[in-house]
Amino acid sequence: MSLQSALEQLAAHRIKNTRASQDVFRNGLLVLQKKGLKKLGDDGWTFLEQLTLASIDVGRLDIADQCLQLIADKFPNSPRVDCLTGIRIEATEPPETALKYYADILEADSANAGIWKRRISVLRRTGKVEKAVNELVQFLDTFYTDVEGWLELADIYATCNQYEHSLQALTHVLLLTPQNPFYMLQAAETAYTAEDFPLAIKMFLTVVDMTDGDDSEQLLQESTPLGITVRAWFGVKLCARRIAQNTNMKSPSNTSLPKKVELLDELATERLRVAYSSSGQKGEIAKGRQEVFAWVAAPLA
Amino acid sequence: MIGKLFLTLATFALLHAAYSTYEHLSLLKALGKPEGSLPLDIVYESVLALIVGLLGASLNAPPLKDITWASEMKKRTIDGMDSRLGFAQYKSRGKLLF
Repeated sequence: MSLQSALEQLAAHRIKNTRASQDVFRNGLLVLQKKGLKKLGDDGWTFLEQLTLASIDVGRLDIADQCLQLIADKFPNSPRVDCLTGIRIEATEPPETALKYYADILEADSANAGIWKRRISVLRRTGKVEKAVNELVQFLDTFYTDVEGWLELADIYATCNQYEHSLQALTHVLLLTPQNPFYMLQAAETAYTAEDFPLAIKMFLTVVDMTDGDDSEQLLQESTPLGITVRAWFGVKLCARRIAQNTNMKSPSNTSLPKKVELLDELATERLRVAYSSSGQKGEIAKGRQEVFAWVAAPLA
Repeated sequence: MIGKLFLTLATFALLHAAYSTYEHLSLLKALGKPEGSLPLDIVYESVLALIVGLLGASLNAPPLKDITWASEMKKRTIDGMDSRLGFAQYKSRGKLLF
């Protein structure tokens, strides 16, 4: 395992925002041992921040303290360093200590977004969900464009089974990131859980359009759905079933029903069959193929 | 690799042509007729160095990336999109369990 590949993997994790703490910790430790820190130059500080968070997540507080000391020495009065110190306090001290630390910083500078988010996260973890929601709504009033905040609000509402409010928060996410099919899929699934089936089927079809509509060379019949497109087709099939069972259904968001539900159902069935028929490596059969085929073959209403 | 080879060749050719020009000009100065024109083979060498250098630079470029959002989204995962790292909780019950 070379230094170069470790650095590349760490950069990929930074870009994709994944929380792969064990992988980051392993690669980061390799970089530290092979003294790759000087090679990174200015990027080295983001790498140290990434390694600090991963070490705290994995439980190796000794490495975390080392990295945190290096960063704090270089950037003494930085709000980002305050966030890291706060996270370190959260990891070992009782939550009241962490909350007091955050309250002190917010008194000095009440618009510190990072610290505010940490405070909301501690409130949610200790079970004060209502207070967390109130603070989060205040935070989002101040910082409207924070997609993470809206996603967190949607998540909190969903865990409390308030799916309509979750859907409302997700509509703000869709406004802020209209090109992202993952958030549209989350909104579609939330709409389905909130029993708004016409809206859900429209959103699932939009996801298919966003992820599959790029193949201009291949006809739709020839291409195989992959990734979240398969999940979206499952959603279309589920919604089509529900709509066919109750053709006079009222949508809470006043969305109109699709006119040809049977055709949509047929299309979804065919796409799922294609997705699960494609052979993977060495011609092996896709997992769960028999179950999927049996399920899609069941009659509509 | 071919790209880097072409680039090095082109650099050497250009430096060689430049040195030949300098030598030629100093020869003309020594002979007392400083207004002579540049010999054609030096010109050909410089043009060849330009062409080979162009080829080498194009071949040496890093692999091209797609420009559409859809192609970028194909490389992401749900876990990456939903990670909400600003709100992530770093305290779990793992320490008590393991």
